[in-house]
Amino acid sequence: MSFMQPSPVKYACSCGILNPINKLFFCRHCPKLRCGFCVCHEIESHFCSNCLENIPSSEARHKKNCCANCFDCPCCQHTLSARATTVPVVRKPEEPKDGESGAEATPSPKPSAMPTTKKMYYLSCLSCRWTTRDVGIPDQGVATGTWPDNECLYQARFNTLMEYYQSVVLQDKQEKQEFLRRKTPKQHKFPSLTDRTGLTVSLIRRQIGWTEKSVPKTKPINIAPAEASAEVEPLPEDIFTQPINLRNITTVAQRHSQPADQPTAVNKLYPQRRSLWIKRSLRCRQCEHNLIKPEYHPTSIKYRIQLFASYHVPEVIMVRCEQPLQPGQSNAILLKLANPTMYDMTISILEAVPEDAQINTDAFQQACRIKEEAITSSPLLKTTGVTLARQNSTREVKREVRELANASIVPLESPFVLSQRDDSKEFDEDVQAPIEEPKFIVWRKGNKVLIRLQFSPAADLQPGNKVTLGFYMQYTYVNTVSNTPDKKDPTTHALYSRIFIEAGEIAPQTAN
Amino acid sequence: MPLYESVMQEKPPIVLDIGTAYTKLGFAAEAYPRKIIPTTVVLTTTGVTKRLFDYVGTEQLYDQIVDFLQTIFFKHLLVSPKERKFVIVENIFGQTIIRETLARALFIHFDVSSVLFVPAHLIALSTLAVPTGLVVDIGYSETTIMPVFSGVQILSAFKDHSYGSCAVHDEIRRQLVATGVKEPLLTSSVLEDIKIRTCFVNSYERAQARASSDQTQPPPPPPSVDYAICDGDAVISIPGTVRESVYELMFEQNNERDSLPHLILRAILDCSMDVRRALIESIFVIGGGAMVLGLLPRLKQELQQLLANDSYYRERFHGELQFKFYNSIGKQNFTAWLGGALCGATDLIQTRSLSKESYLRNEHVPDWSNLCDNRHGG
Repeated sequence: MSFMQPSPVKYACSCGILNPINKLFFCRHCPKLRCGFCVCHEIESHFCSNCLENIPSSEARHKKNCCANCFDCPCCQHTLSARATTVPVVRKPEEPKDGESGAEATPSPKPSAMPTTKKMYYLSCLSCRWTTRDVGIPDQGVATGTWPDNECLYQARFNTLMEYYQSVVLQDKQEKQEFLRRKTPKQHKFPSLTDRTGLTVSLIRRQIGWTEKSVPKTKPINIAPAEASAEVEPLPEDIFTQPINLRNITTVAQRHSQPADQPTAVNKLYPQRRSLWIKRSLRCRQCEHNLIKPEYHPTSIKYRIQLFASYHVPEVIMVRCEQPLQPGQSNAILLKLANPTMYDMTISILEAVPEDAQINTDAFQQACRIKEEAITSSPLLKTTGVTLARQNSTREVKREVRELANASIVPLESPFVLSQRDDSKEFDEDVQAPIEEPKFIVWRKGNKVLIRLQFSPAADLQPGNKVTLGFYMQYTYVNTVSNTPDKKDPTTHALYSRIFIEAGEIAPQTAN
Repeated sequence: MPLYESVMQEKPPIVLDIGTAYTKLGFAAEAYPRKIIPTTVVLTTTGVTKRLFDYVGTEQLYDQIVDFLQTIFFKHLLVSPKERKFVIVENIFGQTIIRETLARALFIHFDVSSVLFVPAHLIALSTLAVPTGLVVDIGYSETTIMPVFSGVQILSAFKDHSYGSCAVHDEIRRQLVATGVKEPLLTSSVLEDIKIRTCFVNSYERAQARASSDQTQPPPPPPSVDYAICDGDAVISIPGTVRESVYELMFEQNNERDSLPHLILRAILDCSMDVRRALIESIFVIGGGAMVLGLLPRLKQELQQLLANDSYYRERFHGELQFKFYNSIGKQNFTAWLGGALCGATDLIQTRSLSKESYLRNEHVPDWSNLCDNRHGG
């Protein structure tokens, strides 16, 4: 599997998007390929990428998704580190005490021999040498926790505005309800006595001496609207004469990293609290099972559930083409297939959708329908309404697989068996008896096989055009999860994937 | 007990203002956006960064919007969009396809519970608590002018023009290339950086003196700046004339009479007579392009000069008129977002939003310009 360059072999996901196998997932319950686009992403946990501290989601929300202890450099967005300095402490309150106590304290050489020092901390960027001292933030006695936040200047005004609009909207709502109440016809069949006599309910209540029943109407609170002024801030005069120093003017990125005040001068930059990161879990949209569930702790890179496609679907690696690609000329490609599962697979390479492969997926899903089963069963998740969300599953956005193939393949004449993965076999001596192999199998060892697939690029291709071959790979998959109590044995399914291989470009015409 | 409250509270709605160049994102009832990020997507196939709204075909736009929103939710806001409420600040004359595709991505791909679309100009005024104003939005790709009176947008008087920040970037590039700077050095991020760090809007007197420089000596230009381009490993000199003159394209006098002061006056003239004075005295300039130094004094002086000297406007405006400007709370580039955040904090989010159920009924976002949605009583 090549990580650094895009793989020429692409699998069609069940949603119709082409992806290399290392970007695909395999839902064992559906059983289908899934990709990052067609699964539901969920936030598993918040953590700080610098101090690797796990932060509960309610606390993260409260802290505005920022770490309490780590800061980013406002200059270059690198992480700031706390540095300690020792400063001599001037013991102000002790001096008058010394003077009071008089003669016996002064002759002792102790104070001069032991100058008291104190550790003070400041934040410094190891990348661009920015420090909190540059902007005049005083050093702190403790390394974390006491750094000041820059306040939002107009927070009070914003709060008044918010209260004002909330009350306006509330009043609007009340008036509308009042209006509707008046408009609705009376429930009583007969007019009430008070209507005839002109006595209203409120009048009677007042006569009896009761208080008004109606809820007090909310009055919108008063707000001072903004004042427009004819005075506008003029251009500073010295802008025409003074040279500017670009080092003192912030860049766009620096301004936007501090969205509240967006300072233009460098000396207004403040250390920014570091944004948290998240761990994601992925869920199949159709059956609502988890595909990926990471371990909770931020220092762990392992998964509790990991259904990567490369653990379940045979991997196809393109080795080489036998001849230079020419339009219309028959050619052959060598493909290496590997079986990642613990069961033997029967694989056939086909040109069209295999007919017998139409397994009844609905029935299968019914069979492994989750009955609040144990895979994702943290009790917390259940109570917070994940079960509720399951009922209205989002629709899957499905699209047609884009037809890319421009070469016709010769399907393999017979299926072949790819034996199970066995790590210990790698070290065995090759004692396999030479068995009768089909013609197309070039080489076989353990769970890997090299096959030769004949194809011919379309005749109308020009030199430089990319040749893509497409085929259906049918494979047997042994499903080990079955949640139905009656079936304990693993069931075998014939699945297929559509695969596209970029074989290369049409070779330039040779002078012949 | 703030912690208790924040735990008990319902999840705050997400407020998005997706601009052409920058996207402002955050939560309702907060005084400033969490992040301001470039509106770009990194293509997974090639790793190339491209603008969100460069697309061919609806499906590509849909994929790009999904990718972009995915980054917003899981890299910046760190919340799951499922079952959330949204406030989207939108351009009232924005393209229907973008609006519909955004709604489809939110409702179908991300399964959000409701979306409230709010018009940017109107909602920007709410940050001032005034009902009337002439809102001038200087954005990246265009400058738009919308008069609002008593909370009603006067659509017939809407004006727009293509001089936004993008045009300023092109002007900087043109002038610098003319001084002999190699064009490949001037990438769009370099141009933007030059613009915000060195350029300003010239004062009216100096601009006039420069324009009619034939008889008098033009005023000495401001000092030129040596600008180091990190990627290109080069130092270019930005002449003082470039620094002071790139914004002149907003005030250019031509026969079209469509410079920014002309557009403002024409927008006011398109309104009915009774509201004109109120609009003149409440001009509100927002948008990232409005943050440049010296824009407001120049604009004010140009407007006053046009009123005094241009015969067309002199015939139509009478009396002592004084242009007045509002100061925004916060920075102008997120004023519209701030309005959305205020709106999302009220009960309107419950009553006025487009809910998922009503969207899924016919997969269509109601639009003011669509006759089907505006027939009275359905």
